[in-house]
Amino acid sequence: MHVRQVGDRAAVIDIKGDVTAASEPVLMSAYEQADRQGARRLVLNFRGLEYMNSGGIGMLVTFLIRANRQHQELAAFGLSAHYREIFELTRLDEAITIYDDERSALSDAAS
Amino acid sequence: MTSIARPAPRRLASFAVPSVPGNERIALTQVAETVAGLGLSPARLDKLKTAVAEATMNAIEHGNDSRPELPVRVEVFQSGAEIIVTIADRGGRSDEGTPENSAEVPDLDRKLDGEQGPRGWGLFLIRHMVDAMAITTQGERHTVRLMMRIGSQDAGGGED
Repeated sequence: MHVRQVGDRAAVIDIKGDVTAASEPVLMSAYEQADRQGARRLVLNFRGLEYMNSGGIGMLVTFLIRANRQHQELAAFGLSAHYREIFELTRLDEAITIYDDERSALSDAAS
Repeated sequence: MTSIARPAPRRLASFAVPSVPGNERIALTQVAETVAGLGLSPARLDKLKTAVAEATMNAIEHGNDSRPELPVRVEVFQSGAEIIVTIADRGGRSDEGTPENSAEVPDLDRKLDGEQGPRGWGLFLIRHMVDAMAITTQGERHTVRLMMRIGSQDAGGGED
């Protein structure tokens, strides 16, 4: 996973490959990097996602808890229709704002 | 009175994977290859793959305690317009604590408040991905049966 600082307040975390319980150290490390950079809005880029399972959803909940504690906003883009539906089923979409693309996710942050 | 005979299920595939975390990917790939061309839409195939992966992962981790020497057996059948996938482990002896026995429905608000752990989404996902699911235990053999109807537009929430 790769973290890109965008402006003063936002960071994009580019997710590649699988999101499972085994990805937790990598995602949390990405979170800490974005947090250190002072990001108030964290944008998850799922374009490179190949597979996500229930363990990965659990890890996103942990990620969300950490972001909530720091009063950071979470957003996402690049989800396939299937994973978007899973976000809706689990109601993750109510806590993580979903956008169609990176530009929308970041322009909303700037407004 | 007339009765409508149901066609006998036709077995399309039967295979086993060692109980090693990650092997659910093998199961989902083999099931997807087996049912390719049977008429499931891409969206419903994605749902079946997720359900198979979650059920296999439960079988590996909870049923067989991630013991590689214990296989998880997967079988795929077609019965008329139904695709049936069964996933069996050896966990029937100790069902306490397996996810399907947990009465707690995962709730995001409760998880965010710390009242539930962050995990525990597997069975919830399976139930919403397929048209029907059933869990049976016979001796040590513990089987999850997933059913998808060919040609249906949506799946989810079914339980036999």
